[in-house]
Amino acid sequence: MNEKRLTRRDFLKVSTGATVAAVLAACAPPTPAPAAKPAEKAPAAAPQKVTTINHLSIWSDDVFAETIALFEEMNPDLKVKNEALSWNAFFEQIQVRLAAGSAEPDTLAVDVPLTAPYGYRGWLLPLDDVFTEEEKADWLESSLKAGTYEGHLISAPVSTSTQLLFYNRNAFEKAGIEPPGEDERWTWEQLADAAQKLTFDEDGDGTPEMWGFIWEQVIRIYQLQPMPMSLGGVPIGPDGLTVRGYIDTDPWIEAFTYYRKAFNEWKFAPQGDVGWPSDTLFRPGKLAMEVAGPWNIKQNIDANLDFEWGVSRHPYFDGGTIVTPTGSWHIGANANTKKIDAATRWVRFVSTVPGAEKWWRTGSHDFPAQKSLLEKIKTDPQFEEWPWKAERIAADEATVNPQPRPVTPGYLEYEEILGDTFSDIRNGADVKESLNTAVERIEAEMDKYRK
Amino acid sequence: MAVRRADHTRASTMQWIPYLFLLPAFILLFTFRIAPALAGFREALYTHNLSAARRSFVGWGNFAHIFRDPIFWKSLRITLVFSLVTNPLQTALALALAVLANQRVRGISIFRSVYLLPVVISINVTSTIWGLLLNKDSGMINGILIQFGLPRQPFLLSPDQALWTIIGIISWVGVPYWMMFFLAGLQGIPQALFEAAAIDGANAWQSFRYITLPLLRRIIAFVLISDTVVNLFLFAPVWILTRGGPQLSTNLLMYDAYRRGFVWGDMGGSAAMMMILLVIAAITVAVEFLLFRSREG
Repeated sequence: MNEKRLTRRDFLKVSTGATVAAVLAACAPPTPAPAAKPAEKAPAAAPQKVTTINHLSIWSDDVFAETIALFEEMNPDLKVKNEALSWNAFFEQIQVRLAAGSAEPDTLAVDVPLTAPYGYRGWLLPLDDVFTEEEKADWLESSLKAGTYEGHLISAPVSTSTQLLFYNRNAFEKAGIEPPGEDERWTWEQLADAAQKLTFDEDGDGTPEMWGFIWEQVIRIYQLQPMPMSLGGVPIGPDGLTVRGYIDTDPWIEAFTYYRKAFNEWKFAPQGDVGWPSDTLFRPGKLAMEVAGPWNIKQNIDANLDFEWGVSRHPYFDGGTIVTPTGSWHIGANANTKKIDAATRWVRFVSTVPGAEKWWRTGSHDFPAQKSLLEKIKTDPQFEEWPWKAERIAADEATVNPQPRPVTPGYLEYEEILGDTFSDIRNGADVKESLNTAVERIEAEMDKYRK
Repeated sequence: MAVRRADHTRASTMQWIPYLFLLPAFILLFTFRIAPALAGFREALYTHNLSAARRSFVGWGNFAHIFRDPIFWKSLRITLVFSLVTNPLQTALALALAVLANQRVRGISIFRSVYLLPVVISINVTSTIWGLLLNKDSGMINGILIQFGLPRQPFLLSPDQALWTIIGIISWVGVPYWMMFFLAGLQGIPQALFEAAAIDGANAWQSFRYITLPLLRRIIAFVLISDTVVNLFLFAPVWILTRGGPQLSTNLLMYDAYRRGFVWGDMGGSAAMMMILLVIAAITVAVEFLLFRSREG
């Protein structure tokens, strides 16, 4: 007879298992008493397997709520878990997670100039077959092109952008200046003149209570590139790598001399860390003018500002060309995701109607990259009256010579080094010297892509 | 014969026992320190600028790229100046503060607690608060300067002031931290030695010079070496307050390595930079060891 004795280990296994089971049972929700047995047994519906998509973004869950709810309603077999990160942490996490070959996030928001660097590194799934020709045709051509790398669509357009001059009408009244009309376009020279008059330091402590002007993204190339381009400058060479002979030329020196004067000589713009100026200065009523994105329209409306505000067109240099910024957020799928079908369905939803419309109206309020939605801004009666009319002005401004940021595999280095450079110029560094240093640094970093 | 063999066996077993006790610590040290350093060295020989599929061995290529970069040499110079100023400064101030905190006066424990407050606050919080205090336009420090009729200072916005400001901020935390070690050391010195010196007519300086300093030599060595390592790998205040600027004046090597790896995605270059930093740390620590050992000899 092969009788097995109960060892101490066996006893521990059994007793631990029993304890865990008891604890789990105690934690489980109370089981309802079994209902009366039905007369006929209904055929059991096969339980639907739900797949969860992990999406990485910079927007909190409440911003995503309605878009995700609509998606999950239309796709009962899918759920979306949004992982929201701060601006800097977002880009750094992508670097670490995608470079390590991680299968998560399944999908991610892609800042459009990063399409080329991510494509170069093979981090994003080609999306060519995900969309119909009709869906592709609904995107702005410039957005479709910006999401394409080496002939493959790898980041699907969700939004595009432009910039407007937002102003505090009360500050203009106080200074006795007439603000620019909604279809009027000031030159940078006009703006500098007005901004100095709109800067008030009434207690004389050297820190104005009302600043004249600032750029919303104060050291980012996205916002500043139109200035040298207005004077005929070019942000990068045709090879997408060379900056020598481009960012150290006269248009750049002239544009950033203006920028330096704004902070150091005319002193209508604050130096140092001001956070996000729309939140920290404009909406609290401490800033007379800012060049900022149309996402501020909804935010200004929601904030119930205690002053009258208005919008005008993006400035340009006297005698120069009118240039406006463009480009915004796209969406991509991780090349290593294990949920290709689910991920691409979510990507398709967010970047096409109706998902894109939900996202535009209830989510980020970034400008849609879909022609059909841009058309709605022109025809929807909601946008006829102020303040929603500002959206219509922005939609028109988005068509005025929009210039994308450079397409280069070294965009991360390019943007970061230029950010340092603009920060130095803003704090008083010599313009020519700073741009020359930027050339040396960017050229050194671009070397590794010249193979 | 049998007895002798048993003794021999026991002796050889006993030989291994200390190593067994050291083993858990060594496993942890290997897992969390040595293995990552070796992995970092391996990483430094590869390029990560390309996709994982195209990852390639570049030998010393990453090092050559860094050595050709003029910004690296500038960062190296800044890092060395920073270390040469910060380490002796913090050690000397910590020792001075410990001597003060070691006085036997009423309520000294309250002073000790107050001195230690900066240590218990996270360096990230400390950096953020100092950033607000030192703001050019709205900071409290400039408000005080203006009240005294002094000109507004740019502090972290000036390439001439930013590095010194960061040295000040980290010393605000570092000095009381290292003070604790000196205080423990001071309290271990027998009081009788000072009493004997006093009977022999020694003044306070002579007691400090000939009793306190020699008996604290090992602690001074420990503090100086640990402080060197901590400051060479300093990261958070630079990341929070200056991001290496203005005009790269606070671009310490540690921050440069971080930016190269985690912002630009150049992990190979970043690892190479960390290896260079590791070698600098090893050389500096070795020199400090030798310096203290030769004095002891």
